[in-house]
Amino acid sequence: MTRLALLIAIAAAIAVPHRAQAADPACSTLPNPVYLQVGDTQQNLMIRLGRALRDNKLPNGDPNPITLVFITSGSCSNIAAIYPPTVPIKVTTTMKYIQSKADLGDDMWTPTTPSLTCTLDAARVPDIANSALFNSACVDGAPPATVHLTQGPTQAYVMAVPRAISTQTAITFEEAYFVFGFGTAGMIMPWIDESQMYIRTLTKSTLLAWAANIGVPGPRWKGQKFDGSPMVVGALEASTSPGAIGILGAEVYDGDRTKLKALAFRAKGQYAAYYPDTSESARDKKNVRDGHYTVWSPTIWMDTVDAGGLPVNPTARYVIDLIAGKTVTPAQSFPMIDIVAAVGLVPICAMRVNRTIEGGELTPFSPPESCTCKYESLVDTSSCAKCDATSCATGVCRNGLCEDH
Amino acid sequence: MMLRSMFIALPLVLAAACGDSTGNQTKDAAVPIDAGPSDASCFTDPRTYNELINACTTAVKVYKDSRPPLLKTDGTLPDLPPP
Repeated sequence: MTRLALLIAIAAAIAVPHRAQAADPACSTLPNPVYLQVGDTQQNLMIRLGRALRDNKLPNGDPNPITLVFITSGSCSNIAAIYPPTVPIKVTTTMKYIQSKADLGDDMWTPTTPSLTCTLDAARVPDIANSALFNSACVDGAPPATVHLTQGPTQAYVMAVPRAISTQTAITFEEAYFVFGFGTAGMIMPWIDESQMYIRTLTKSTLLAWAANIGVPGPRWKGQKFDGSPMVVGALEASTSPGAIGILGAEVYDGDRTKLKALAFRAKGQYAAYYPDTSESARDKKNVRDGHYTVWSPTIWMDTVDAGGLPVNPTARYVIDLIAGKTVTPAQSFPMIDIVAAVGLVPICAMRVNRTIEGGELTPFSPPESCTCKYESLVDTSSCAKCDATSCATGVCRNGLCEDH
Repeated sequence: MMLRSMFIALPLVLAAACGDSTGNQTKDAAVPIDAGPSDASCFTDPRTYNELINACTTAVKVYKDSRPPLLKTDGTLPDLPPP
């Protein structure tokens, strides 16, 4: 009897920790949880920023952790989630969050490490919703008074083909119109097989951004519709047809360049086609920044405000301001621009063009404080002069580089 | 006489097509870039949309001579087929 009790006790001692590890925690028990519903193009941002915020510190070194608890969905669905009457995240939804250094050290963690999951206590409206394009591409009219919109980094979109079997290097506005608006009947070689045209469903920013740029409304697109970017990547990689073509967020493509090839795009009225980057192999998004590559959207970050216009959740606004490149108080303990650059987005401070509607004409843009030198130093080689506080012959010393303003 | 008029008019039409739409823009002389067509001009001080997308750049340019079969004879796009 005593022996049996001992065996039970040992078994319990082994089983209990195992069960505790296997069960998802309640998201509400994580440190300072902020709930987000974002586009799947923003998943890499969630992973890297989520990691940094788990171990965020105050300027005095005290911990100031924030846990990004997120799910991904289409931009239009995300807008609907936070615009009244709101569409709460279902209580049964498995939410994701990223390991802190205590969970998994830097020597073990990479951005491809599977995220952790947690459970909701109840259905809830996200603290932050994200659209990877202008909200007006999804909904008519001005945003409701209860929702505050903040423009974040710029997101580019590409048309990609299988690198190993496609000889194509560019597509023109007119060709894209016929390929995706007419399908097989468009007779644009080699893109005549609609089963090899991999597109996205109607609520997705990737489809809507391209739709606005080539003049083919979303519902009229020909091709196979996929719910997620990984499915488009998978279909392109698996295809054996030189006529395969798909649409992706540039940062998704950037993560799979060995197997996929982005096509240069020639916009209407443009003399030549351009890649998002200076060349097919570069990662500098220079053509996005200066207007030569036209297929991009701002990311829009939404949070709820009270009747006085103040954020209902100040921590959510803190996260949004970080993403938008604003100065936050208290300062974060990591360089935000490094994260934005690493996930293939372009910070507003590095942009030199802007637009006000999806696919609309570009206009010159000058940010209040340029970060072009810093951004280029992260994604390429900066040609800007290095400096200390006062040594710039022209411009302003910022982050150790002479920015033009 | 008629043929001669055409020879005079055609270069003028083409020249106008290469010019700006507002009449006050700075347009550079054609520059040879990436072995592109001879009319591949670029703009050094881009202000308008057309100038921005055709601004001078050191970025790789890909020239594509494409005329989709369904393009109208005047170069415009036909309406999309009915859903």
